[in-house]
Amino acid sequence: MRQIRFTVNGGRYEVEVRDNERLVDVLRNKLGFKSVKEGCGVGDCGLCIVLVGGRPVNSCLALASRMDGEEILTVEGLGSAEHLHPLQRSYIEVGASQCGYCIPAALLVTHSLLSRKSRPSADEVRLALRSVLCRCGSYLRFEEAVKVVSGDE
Amino acid sequence: MNEEIGRRLREIEEIRDFFVVGKKVARVDALDAVLGKPVYTSDLITGRPLYVKAVRSTHPHAHIKSINISKALNMPLIHAVLTYRDIPGLNDAGSLIPDRPLLAYEKVRHIGEAIALVVGEELERVEEAADQVEVEYDPLPVVTSPREAMRPDAPRIQDRDNVVTHFKIRKGDVEQGFRQSHLILERTYRTQHIDGLPLEIEVAYSFWGSDNILTCISTMQNPFDVYNKVAQILGMPKERLRVIQAATGGGFGPKSDETPIDVAAYACLATLKTGRPAVSAFTRGEAMTVQCKRHPFEITHRVGVSRDGRLQAWKSTLIEDTGAYISKGHLVIGRATFHCTGPYEVPNVWADGYCVLTNNTMAGSTRGFGAPQSHFAAEMMMDELAAELGMSPAEIRRRNILRVGGLTATSQKIEDPGLEICFERALQITGFERRYAELKSRKDWPIRRGIGLALLYHGNTLGPEGDDFASVATWVNQDGTVTVQTGLTEFGTGAITSLIIVTAETLGIQPDRIKLERPDTLAIPNSGPTVASRTTPIGGRAALDAAVKIRQMVAAVVSEILGVGAENLVFRESKIYPRDMPSKSISWKEAVEACHKLGLELKASGYYIAPPTKWDPETGQGSPYNQYTFGALVSEVSVDMETGVVKVDKMTAVYDVGRAINPLGLVSTYESGSIMGLGYALLEEIIHEDGRLLNPNLHTYIIPTTVEAPSKIESVIVESPGPMGVYGAKAMGEIPVVLPAASIANAVANATGVFIRRLPLRPDRVLSEIGNLKY
Repeated sequence: MRQIRFTVNGGRYEVEVRDNERLVDVLRNKLGFKSVKEGCGVGDCGLCIVLVGGRPVNSCLALASRMDGEEILTVEGLGSAEHLHPLQRSYIEVGASQCGYCIPAALLVTHSLLSRKSRPSADEVRLALRSVLCRCGSYLRFEEAVKVVSGDE
Repeated sequence: MNEEIGRRLREIEEIRDFFVVGKKVARVDALDAVLGKPVYTSDLITGRPLYVKAVRSTHPHAHIKSINISKALNMPLIHAVLTYRDIPGLNDAGSLIPDRPLLAYEKVRHIGEAIALVVGEELERVEEAADQVEVEYDPLPVVTSPREAMRPDAPRIQDRDNVVTHFKIRKGDVEQGFRQSHLILERTYRTQHIDGLPLEIEVAYSFWGSDNILTCISTMQNPFDVYNKVAQILGMPKERLRVIQAATGGGFGPKSDETPIDVAAYACLATLKTGRPAVSAFTRGEAMTVQCKRHPFEITHRVGVSRDGRLQAWKSTLIEDTGAYISKGHLVIGRATFHCTGPYEVPNVWADGYCVLTNNTMAGSTRGFGAPQSHFAAEMMMDELAAELGMSPAEIRRRNILRVGGLTATSQKIEDPGLEICFERALQITGFERRYAELKSRKDWPIRRGIGLALLYHGNTLGPEGDDFASVATWVNQDGTVTVQTGLTEFGTGAITSLIIVTAETLGIQPDRIKLERPDTLAIPNSGPTVASRTTPIGGRAALDAAVKIRQMVAAVVSEILGVGAENLVFRESKIYPRDMPSKSISWKEAVEACHKLGLELKASGYYIAPPTKWDPETGQGSPYNQYTFGALVSEVSVDMETGVVKVDKMTAVYDVGRAINPLGLVSTYESGSIMGLGYALLEEIIHEDGRLLNPNLHTYIIPTTVEAPSKIESVIVESPGPMGVYGAKAMGEIPVVLPAASIANAVANATGVFIRRLPLRPDRVLSEIGNLKY
């Protein structure tokens, strides 16, 4: 066991974790960030993606014990019902959410992309989102949502 | 239905000037999704439940000699190990046909069949214990080819003939038709197992709820199927069980079949035995092994045409591998056979469809339900005929498509011009004929482009597949908001939003004033299964029925207040006013308050059942469906002649939706099905080898990502109202997945000159098929 300190969505947390404990389990079960989904546990599907220092990370492959001092963002920290993040609003507007299960991961990946590049090309959006599987096939909707936010539409 | 409701229904059907229908409306569940709200089953688990893990067969076909649980039972933190002997009720979990034990006894018939359940604390401990359950097998011959399974001397999978269904169509005189034909072609097409693969894996959470009711929260399409089956397995009076559908991360068919029953039964059995809350969840590998797949088909068509390209005779044999248990295989073969000629008028048809048991894993409902397979074969056949006749794919279709008054293979008369409209629109938007001819003559290297067309008809909703009914409960709250509850479920299709729209339209209020309650067997009557793209057309009728009843109650009160006849009141934009005097209005909220002051409870149950459909099982002749959805899909592809990689550049999807209740939702549905269908065409295949699965994981079973999605999907909505669905709406949820394989394969043939008759069109297959072809 070891004590780690990190911030999640701006809040500071101090948690005791086992050396082999996965970040996804700590976020979901110990801290209650249920937006983080697990779809395969081996890094194939990307549903468990969170942003660590602004970069997408598969939280099923990341050890919580390595997260000391990191800043983590989950969708709970992106916006609220009263103050939706522009990306959240555009996802709703363009009909990007179908079953909804991959939406937290897709939002975080597109958010990370937009924070690095304000007007990404369609190819850049696709390359970034390649890490998230969406069986409902909302990929073109995600692309559209990014366009709306980056002012291309 | 009383007179007044009938009148109102007709009036609504005639309205063109909708207030909410056809406008841009956000999905009811979109806000929860973008906020990442804890609404899915595994988000709702609290405390420290017990975990349940299944011990699964390692043989595809074997007698079970013994099951030894003592080692597992003695491991720390293990509370129980259950086998078939511990099932208090009926050991059967078949969703429709009672042929499938929940826990195997005597025999296992496919790989991954559940034999025992280990219940304990901490998931890892339970998994370790599951490995310690010792099962001794006596292997039996394994039958994996349905053709072999059909032989009279083949080993039997179950205690019955391996051929479950022989489905027939007999129309006209097919031999006479062949004699009249100028050209006869015979071709065989093969399709593969795929997994519908909802991204949320099966999970059920059970606990003793209030009033001593065993409560189960789970992810599923059909809560009432799960409820009825689990009560039977537990041997428990139904009133002591409650099933609630949590938000569900994808359905696609598998969540309407077998696995939702399994996980719910596992968890409930554990709670029943231990008294403790229990969670049963599959791993991805487990889910991909036992989820019902899309049926592989072998379809042989022998088709005769006249010199001018008119279809004369069509003879088909369809062989469907349903795996070790029937699930919905007997129904899927029906839909596939009914649609085996494609949407064309053929005077003479002879078709035999066989649903066959093998030792492969189960196949069942998968979005499209037999239609993707039959359209792949029929639509390729049409292109092959055109190529032989030196005719364009558009022209041969133009000469044969089902127009108004045309007769299908079952001699059902076509009532609306949806197909002709979709066909002509698709040709016109894509410039298909010119592009096809141009690309056919080009011999670019290494990237060759092609364009392909496919047409669709899809018999609506259940038809011969079951009782096509729905019920919806609607009530008005004191503050004027409205609540809608039904056993029809949302799992991604967006159809429940259509019920909200229909309710909003009828009551003249905004959709955001309407809330949705979760499906809960304790609160609502059975609404039938959420399958067959039924929710909007059939569920919409039930929602309309409930809303009309409420509207009537409110109208009676408002009529007194305003001194106007109830039949002359208009409900629109949150106001109620006389038709000829819009200024004399009262608000919806005031009207609701007035009703409440009178002690009127504004609550209604809506119900709808589709007219029964009739056909003769000996000849297949009759009208198996109440209406048809039509469509056309054009795919434009690039084929790399050196690597065999096919890329879909653009798709133009034109569907006759009857009535666009929710256009934004339709765009999502079009794109969704197109991309899922692209995966079926190019990438996906669950591979069995001697009954064992080689790729039950997401790194060797590849589904489309953003990179494979076409650059553009043009979604074109055609509205040719049907007689059954609400406001003329037709079934749409499954439909866009049906045509991509056919249209992509035809585009590849346009690019390369080679018809590849086996799915998926993986690079290695494309390369070997185009073989010696060099520029």
